[in-house]
Amino acid sequence: MLSRIATFVLLSLALGCGEPRAAATVGGGGVRDDFGAPVAGGTTRTPARIVSLIPGATELLFAIGAGPRVVGRTEWDVWPDSARLVPDVGPGLRPNVEAVLARHPDLVVLYASDDDRPAAARLRAAGVRVIALRIDRIEDFRRAALLLGAATGELARARLTADTVARALARVRAATAGLPRPRVFWHVWDAPVITIGRGSFLDELLDVAGGRNVYADAASPSPTTSIEDIIRRDPDVILAGPVGAARIRASAAWRAVGAVRRGRVLVVDTNLVGRPSVRMGEAAASIARLIHPGALP
Amino acid sequence: MRRTAFWIGGLVVLAALIVAAVAWGTVPLAPRDVALAVLGRGDADTVAIVRALRLPRVMLALLVGAGLGMSGAALQGSLRNALAEPYLLGVSGGAAVGAVVAVAAGVTATGLLPLFAFAGAALAVGAALLVGRAAGGRADPRVLLMAGVIIGAFANAAIMVALAGAPPNTVRGALWWMMGSVSGADWSQVAWLAGYTAVAAAALIWFARDIDILALGEEPAAGLGIDVERAGRRIYLVSSLLAAATVAAAGLVGFVGLVVPHLVRGAGVRRHRPLLAGAALAGGALVVLADLLARVAHPPAELPLGAVTAIVGVPFFLVQLRRLS
Amino acid sequence: MIRFEHLVVRYARAPRPAVDDVSFAAPRGRVTAVVGPNGSGKSTLVRALLRMQPIERGRILVDDAPLDALDRRAFARRVSVVPQREALVFAMPAREYVALGRYPHEGAWRGAGAEDDDAVSRAIERAGVAALADRSTDELSGGEWQRVRIARALAQGGGAIVLDEPTTFLDIAHEMAMFELFAGLARAGMAVLLVSHQLNLVARFADEIVLLHRGRVAAAGAPSDVMRAAILEPVYDWPLVITRDPAVGAPALLPLRGRTR
Repeated sequence: MLSRIATFVLLSLALGCGEPRAAATVGGGGVRDDFGAPVAGGTTRTPARIVSLIPGATELLFAIGAGPRVVGRTEWDVWPDSARLVPDVGPGLRPNVEAVLARHPDLVVLYASDDDRPAAARLRAAGVRVIALRIDRIEDFRRAALLLGAATGELARARLTADTVARALARVRAATAGLPRPRVFWHVWDAPVITIGRGSFLDELLDVAGGRNVYADAASPSPTTSIEDIIRRDPDVILAGPVGAARIRASAAWRAVGAVRRGRVLVVDTNLVGRPSVRMGEAAASIARLIHPGALP
Repeated sequence: MRRTAFWIGGLVVLAALIVAAVAWGTVPLAPRDVALAVLGRGDADTVAIVRALRLPRVMLALLVGAGLGMSGAALQGSLRNALAEPYLLGVSGGAAVGAVVAVAAGVTATGLLPLFAFAGAALAVGAALLVGRAAGGRADPRVLLMAGVIIGAFANAAIMVALAGAPPNTVRGALWWMMGSVSGADWSQVAWLAGYTAVAAAALIWFARDIDILALGEEPAAGLGIDVERAGRRIYLVSSLLAAATVAAAGLVGFVGLVVPHLVRGAGVRRHRPLLAGAALAGGALVVLADLLARVAHPPAELPLGAVTAIVGVPFFLVQLRRLS
Repeated sequence: MIRFEHLVVRYARAPRPAVDDVSFAAPRGRVTAVVGPNGSGKSTLVRALLRMQPIERGRILVDDAPLDALDRRAFARRVSVVPQREALVFAMPAREYVALGRYPHEGAWRGAGAEDDDAVSRAIERAGVAALADRSTDELSGGEWQRVRIARALAQGGGAIVLDEPTTFLDIAHEMAMFELFAGLARAGMAVLLVSHQLNLVARFADEIVLLHRGRVAAAGAPSDVMRAAILEPVYDWPLVITRDPAVGAPALLPLRGRTR
């Protein structure tokens, strides 16, 4: 019986992450979102009531000045502070469509995963505009910003936001460019041991911050590994969230890793660096300060 | 003579498996380096791998397997049911509820999760006994088994509810725990489980003659001078709590409690004193082997231990089934 | 050897007792048979003896010692009980099974000694199962298994043996052999207490018959005293005729065709 639950939940998790992306384009002829559906341009009314089901989109909407028009957010969106005043409509993934509709939105922004297709269809059937986005990597950020800017009539401010973030990232990259790159193991989870692989946002961020991911060769963005393999790859530094760092330090097994024995377990602010956001520049800088002390002011 | 040869052979196989499990892993190590590292000499990383990673987990796997094997053998005899095993009696469901509650409540200190799991298992075992008693079957094993199944079903429902609204990390953590693993083993865990298992094993071996008699049936056993209800309850409690300790230490490692007693019986061991010893030996060997396979099958990731014990256990069980019919 | 004194046993929430003021004795050297229709309390007597059913009133004495003064193993050393059914989940050689009968004599760590082996061998001889000793219990026929079970009871070494419906699934040959065995055991000095519904065989082999009806003793005495139509008909609620069997002259019961209603 337990194995049946396990299979069911595993399948759901597997479906929730990692499917092929439908590239969205901005500008030129038809603009399409990450489900491949067309995003209407300036001919339609500018949305006045927006529900955002992606933390990254919520941040962006506030950053481009559309904050007052946001009438619903997910339970995880707590930045900026003013976002907390917006009513919470529940989870972002597989959203509660009734709760969303109860806010009478004319635009809903949701995460472009197959799990959310039914919700998107139901919202469209109810006459609500839906934009499906994936903001998983650095490059997604600019595209998402411009798309949201176009949809809300704040394209100019969206461009400005995207440019500001890009410049912040470039500054960090420049500051660490000439320095030797430490070998970094990024601890995401330890039961099982999960880290970041090629193509994940954190891998990109680490690269910007002047570090080298010891699992950069792993094809999956969230590869599972074991402590022995980490020892084999011999990282100089381990980055972990506060909970993860505490668990590592308390564990006798992790002490088998040289970096742990040498006290090189550094704590990152997981809220800040967790995903692409308007604070990406700050996120990259925070990592750079950890692994290249003194390189940034 | 055949019997002594059998035991010596078993010990040799177990020793070989332990050596293999320490010598092999994700990182290829030369046998000489491994031997030196066991003694604490050599390169710091190799010593760390051997002494802090591989040896504790192999020892934990051995204890978990021994505990589950003995628990299964004792339960099959005292409940007079060839398909009885500790997980059937609510131990696994209760432990899983305890663990999921801990994970969902954000309990992150590594030492606390096993305590929650053990508490959940103990509560489930107690609940099964109470349900059995309320149903009126003082000593009827079928009632006890059904009570255990009911408690297990209830526990599964509770787990589903707990995980339904939980964030992905909680779900992943809970699932990983439920699939069984000795990867986080450390020496203090090994010491605890060793002490606990030794006490429980001594108790079960003390009761072994009682199990021989209980296995005959309720009335025959009463006729031979056993207080069937008390003896049955004692053995049930010790076996279940032993299994609960293994679950607390390593999550759900299924199939061992069910298959191992059959394997040992298939080798001609019938009386429960040697059967318990044989089940400890065979169970330990099985889980050590399963952990080795879990580590080397798909490096650097590890397969869940519970899955490997089932995969390894099924063919053995099928052979045994064929022998029976 | 075994004496029941005004025994009252009631099942939980039952309106009337299953055993109601039953008194009789099963002395050594004799075959005592308890008979009666279904539900008359015969098996309840055995369960009470095994302490599986609490006694409401009265007492059971084993060699003049009250049952609750005897610890269970001491009881098992004196009285062997062969229950109605026994099906082993895990098979074993018959000799090993018989050896389990020595359990009441074993200490926690004392293994089987020479005395135990002797007792087992003797029990196998007396029950006549020497040829079956090395066969596995799951290969035995009904009659063979029954004899092996009796061997196990004999291995317990007590002076009394209690058998609950010992011949239920046996054919004539095996039934007769069984009763001959019981008579032999009694002659050798054991107290044999039988619960049976095989009235005719009981009439032939038992020294005393105790007839139970709805938990009470309806009649007790030698077979010729109890096996009378006037006594049996009201108990069994069926028309019968009592005759003498031509072989031994023991009373024999013949049920008649059903009453016309």
